[in-house]
Amino acid sequence: MSQYNPFETAQAQFDKVAEMLNLAVATRKLLRNTAREFHFNIPVAMDNGEVDVFRGFRVLHNDARGPGKGGIRFHPQETIDTVRALAMWMTWKCAVVDIPLGGGKGGVICDPHNLSPREQERLCRGWVRQMAKHVGPLSDVPAPDVMTSAQHMLWMLDEYETIHGAKYPGFITGKPIGMGGSLGRTEATGYGVVFVIREALKDMDIRPEDTTASVQGFGNVAQYAIQLYTQMGGKVIAVSCWDQPDSKAYTYKKNEGVNLDELLPITDHFGSINKDKARELGYEQLPAEAWIEQDVDILIPAALENEINQESIQKVKPRVKIIAEGANGPTTIEADEIIQKQGIFMIPDFLANAGGVTCSYFEQVQSNMNYYWEKDDVLGRLDNKMTSAFIAVYDLAKKKKLYMRDAAYVIAIDRVASACKNRGWV
Amino acid sequence: MTRQKNNQDKLIKSFKERVKELNCLYQVEEQLRDTESDLDKTLEKIIKIMPSGWQYPEICRVRILLNDKVIQLPDFTENLWHQTAEIKTSEAQYGKITVSYIQEPCDKKDGYFLKGETKLLNTISDRIAQFIWSKELKQKITQRNDNGLQESRESKNEWKPIIELFKKSEKNLYINISQKMLYYLCWKGVESAKQLLEKITIDQKFEGEDITEELNRPLKKEALAKIMTISDDIFDIAANHLSKNIIMSSIQKWIAEDRFRFLVRAIDDSKSSLSEIIDALTRYHHLDSEGVMTPPAIEKGLRVSLIRRFFFDQLEFINITKQYTEVNDYYDIVQRIISPADSHGKLGGKSAGLFLAAKIIEKETQFPELKENIKIPKTWYISTDGIISFLRYNNLENIYEQKYKETDEIYYDYPNIIQIFKNSYFPPEILKGLSMALDDFGDKPIIVRSSSLLEDRLGSAFSGKYKSLFLANQGTKQQRLDALFDAISEVYASIFAPDPIEYRKERGLLDFQEEMGILLQEVVGNKIGKYYFPSFAGVAFSNNEFRWSTRIQREDGLARLVPGLGTRAVDRMVNDYPVLISPGNPDYRINLTPDEIAHYSPKMIDVINLESNRFDSVEIKELLKNIGNDIPGIENMVSILQDNLFTTATSILGIDFDKNNLIVTFEGLLNKTPFIIQMKHLLTVLKEKMNTPVDIEFAHDGKDFYLLQCRPQSFSKEISPALIPKDIPENKIIFSAHRYISNGHVPDITHIVYVNPDTYNDISDLSELKSIGRTVGRLNKLLPKRQFILMGPGRWGSRGDIKLGVNVTYADINNTAMLIEIARKKGNYIPDLSFGTHFFQDLVESSIRYLPLYPDDEKVVFNERFFLSSENILNQILPECSLLEKVIHVIDVPKTNEGMILRILMNADLEEAIGFLSEPSTGTTIYSSDEKEAVKKPADDFWLWRMHMVKKIASSLDPKRFGVKGLYVFGSTKNATAGPASDIDLLIHFKGSDKQKEALQHWLEGWSLTLAEQNYLRTGYQTDGLLDVHFVTDEDIKNKTSYASKIGAVTDAAMPLSSAEHI
Repeated sequence: MSQYNPFETAQAQFDKVAEMLNLAVATRKLLRNTAREFHFNIPVAMDNGEVDVFRGFRVLHNDARGPGKGGIRFHPQETIDTVRALAMWMTWKCAVVDIPLGGGKGGVICDPHNLSPREQERLCRGWVRQMAKHVGPLSDVPAPDVMTSAQHMLWMLDEYETIHGAKYPGFITGKPIGMGGSLGRTEATGYGVVFVIREALKDMDIRPEDTTASVQGFGNVAQYAIQLYTQMGGKVIAVSCWDQPDSKAYTYKKNEGVNLDELLPITDHFGSINKDKARELGYEQLPAEAWIEQDVDILIPAALENEINQESIQKVKPRVKIIAEGANGPTTIEADEIIQKQGIFMIPDFLANAGGVTCSYFEQVQSNMNYYWEKDDVLGRLDNKMTSAFIAVYDLAKKKKLYMRDAAYVIAIDRVASACKNRGWV
Repeated sequence: MTRQKNNQDKLIKSFKERVKELNCLYQVEEQLRDTESDLDKTLEKIIKIMPSGWQYPEICRVRILLNDKVIQLPDFTENLWHQTAEIKTSEAQYGKITVSYIQEPCDKKDGYFLKGETKLLNTISDRIAQFIWSKELKQKITQRNDNGLQESRESKNEWKPIIELFKKSEKNLYINISQKMLYYLCWKGVESAKQLLEKITIDQKFEGEDITEELNRPLKKEALAKIMTISDDIFDIAANHLSKNIIMSSIQKWIAEDRFRFLVRAIDDSKSSLSEIIDALTRYHHLDSEGVMTPPAIEKGLRVSLIRRFFFDQLEFINITKQYTEVNDYYDIVQRIISPADSHGKLGGKSAGLFLAAKIIEKETQFPELKENIKIPKTWYISTDGIISFLRYNNLENIYEQKYKETDEIYYDYPNIIQIFKNSYFPPEILKGLSMALDDFGDKPIIVRSSSLLEDRLGSAFSGKYKSLFLANQGTKQQRLDALFDAISEVYASIFAPDPIEYRKERGLLDFQEEMGILLQEVVGNKIGKYYFPSFAGVAFSNNEFRWSTRIQREDGLARLVPGLGTRAVDRMVNDYPVLISPGNPDYRINLTPDEIAHYSPKMIDVINLESNRFDSVEIKELLKNIGNDIPGIENMVSILQDNLFTTATSILGIDFDKNNLIVTFEGLLNKTPFIIQMKHLLTVLKEKMNTPVDIEFAHDGKDFYLLQCRPQSFSKEISPALIPKDIPENKIIFSAHRYISNGHVPDITHIVYVNPDTYNDISDLSELKSIGRTVGRLNKLLPKRQFILMGPGRWGSRGDIKLGVNVTYADINNTAMLIEIARKKGNYIPDLSFGTHFFQDLVESSIRYLPLYPDDEKVVFNERFFLSSENILNQILPECSLLEKVIHVIDVPKTNEGMILRILMNADLEEAIGFLSEPSTGTTIYSSDEKEAVKKPADDFWLWRMHMVKKIASSLDPKRFGVKGLYVFGSTKNATAGPASDIDLLIHFKGSDKQKEALQHWLEGWSLTLAEQNYLRTGYQTDGLLDVHFVTDEDIKNKTSYASKIGAVTDAAMPLSSAEHI
């Protein structure tokens, strides 16, 4: 039984696009593998007086376009291949929205359940002590990831600045506002989805106010997407969300359009709408999968993986023109083929939800300047970035008759490959 | 209808009368409380108060005659319409008290005086008598002391005048002292005294011959009267044989003891009712507060008797409790006992646990902060026979047969029983008591808790089987009383609920006549807006049976914290979570990322709504917005979550209740207050002193910590990790798991009941969902006990939301060997584990193993095909349930797998569990190990063997050779409580030379080592020696120092062994 290896999967995906781009052997060799890797020990003095030694990683896949960017994971089952795969993914993700950053990832093999807050702090500082020479605002920029949070970032930043004897808020992202964080972060991903939908509609010559949409999920991304889309004049008629008490999802429908102002007060921290109150407000409570069957122009899956599959794709109404992937990987490969055949316009996840990484980039930029923009400023720049990114992918897709998902990959890998070439690496 | 109305009116009328009487009694009591006050003045006040307790106060007058004193109002006349009671104690007659109407009352339908009034009069006269008695006593004591002083100055040992004084004025005391002196002389071997004693006993026997047995008492009296005639002789003999010093000190000791005789008698007499004991304790309390010292031996004896009388006669419990309680501690309790007339009831397990815990804390010295910081809420008790008198009063006695019915029938009947109980009446004494209790509580909310004799005993926690109910306790007194009646009826009815009956049936406790005491406890909290609730509350356990980190030890304990009332910490919740902390290691948390922490934080809060008089669950978010500012200590309960970062405000000023995203984390409580250290200390102390892991409930009003309940934590014995073979063929593995594994193994499963998570989830009809639970319950009765397992989605037995897991109660699953909850990944939903709830404790207590499966985890086997495609025999077992075949799969494992069975191995150290098909175990003792755990084997014969050996030592010990005067055994061998590792405590009364002592020590050392070796061979317990020898000398015995006090002690005395007679 061969075990699943995420890095091999990522390499295979790259190989496919490299073939399409007919990349040179050296370029393929360069991009198939990580540029550099650090595997190191982190000795930590534990609360009980003993010392434990943890294994840490930092992988930089490619920094031809700019400093590396990627999170730090605390995970008991961390493997180097997972970290490698995720670092490569970050390279493409930054390239597709054309932000001048490379791809990296890091982690520590540990189970934070077994670490007190003080021990976690020492672990974070230990990680930085080992890596201080090799990371930094101009070389490699970490961020929060699995089981790490703003608190961990602040500990790491503090250690880094102590070692280097100066303030470098651009060393790390994911910081709270007032501590080097950026405004607009909460809205970024949801707004980003709508910016690219707007551009797609423009190209189809459809006015947003003439469109309707159905959204799966009611978390952060979905809420801000609905907000901006409604502001643009569009009408969301159905939204589905998880119902914790029933441990299943429901779709809530209102033909005159869902109203965020009335839904948000009856929604909990995790995007569960109170079903009784929703019904009182005149929403129709439908089964979970009803969101996809709506007679709308736009579908926005913004919740889980594999929600659009071979089965559910059959229920999509002919009127649907755009699917914008707000979530990561909501479409299965089989369903993707059908969508492609039916000619529905697909805005793939790593373009549609790139608002988040773009805002991280903005955070770093602001930190480096030590000057922080107003929220409108951030969101305005986000609009510019997302719009240009969309146009680039769309143009390529149109010109080369590529499926949008493939076009996005092609453009990302091509950008990175060119940078390597221009630098004279290959 | 009208008859019912009439009855009701009558009841209300009689009730009002009771209240009047009680108020009167209170006021009288108020006057009598101060024994320093002038007698005449006090009595003058009383005659003015008393009429208020009678039906026609305006025409009611009172007269008190006291020897030659008359206390009355000028217009008192003794008419035809009067009643009289004597003012007397067992010692003396003081006078009488008369209540008279100055004109004929108009309404004499019920006679001129009510029954209650007669009783009231008697009570008041008793109290006056006691008052006078204690005043006089005090006077005498001062006199005696003064006399004593004078005498000591003149001739030191002049005891004769004292005896003469007694002879004239206090005959009973005089007889008593004479008798004791006679016995003392005999014991000292004084021949003339022996003859004297013989004389009176022979007389007695002689007279006794033609007297029937029943006349024991008068016979005794006669004997005592005889002592009177010979008393002068006794004291003459004493004067000849004893020193003046000894006579004087003995007399003083006996006088002291005599003063407490009434209490010893009341308590030791199994016939005395609770109210008699209460009276005696009250008298004792007055004596004690007057500074009269209780002789230690009597005090000790009383302690034990009181524990037995009020709580349990379980030796284990007595041994522990007697160390931490004093007689006076009971005085506080008895003030708040409600009991039927002539009650012989006790207070039940919950009361016992709380009482013991409170006393342990009071006497705690290692962590003195506990005593200062832990409070107990105001509590009233209804004695355990309250229910019997309730049933008798309403002609419901035959309801006890209920428990012998079939489970189905019990289910069916239960709702009706509740209704019947709620429509029944309470006996007058209980009615009266409850009314007093409500006056005491005022309009503070109260909780009505069951406190049964079976519940919370050491060794078994009969947990949560009976109901507890909250009362807002608002409105008029009548409304509050009605609500209280309703609640108590409902708690009483819960004895006949299916779950407790099933539980008792299982434990062989069914024939035990269940009596249930009730605890009425003030709810800890603050009134904030229209709500009443504690700032936070929760439960805590000594042992953490659910360790989420390898760094947490079992002994680190577990606390479940919630804001508001603790119900949400005790019960299993749907869609809500308590904050879990391990007090010994609070730094390791279950939830790590801000999202997780927020997700698994409490979202709802249980409160008492004072406006609607209801128990309510409300959203914390809303509550904080409205009244967050007014909740004491809120800054220590919530954290602000912003930008993926939690911050805790240093004071309430740092919290904006409108704008901040507030999450209940208790972070401030854990980091800024000593709360968690104190909790750890509390658990440690209680576990150590009660000699068992405990389970406590607590509440905090923002200012003080209150202990609400304390009982033994039920626990399964440590089960060793199973070895998990690595060569099991893949096709034989049915499932495997890597998370939350405990140790152990479940062998030879023949049947699997599998509730298909997918099809279960698809059921939309509520009644169909419920029928799944019921069908499981029926399968539970039909399938071979402990040879089948239950598997199904989500949380089994969740109260409230059926969608989350199969709707069952403990009764529906009690025969399974294992309960497996399947957590199929659904979004971010991970099922809450059945932990810390009553249900979990049931599983632990019954040795039902629990395992969560996460089929979507990596590297986990979950052979869904096996469950779905094996032949489903549901149809054959329960043909009428065949419609549910799609959801419930019943698999006969051997039948479908060529005789193989399912075996489950679990190893917590490796975090691995596996279920696989295997050949059945050889031999016949397949399930015995599990069964043994469920029914704890009685203590082994460890003490018997030890006793046998001790006797052997005694018989072979040569007292002359070693200079031994006596040999005693005490401790666990004597008390029959020895365990496999207990040593044998020997006490040697030694009167030899140093050389002899050395020889004796060598001789005993040999025994000690031999016995230790023998014990090792018998039990596997290794010790350095089994004998623990203590030497005492004549002087020790005389002075009762060190271990010598064990000889002839009132309680737990050392037992003499035969070699002592050799001398």
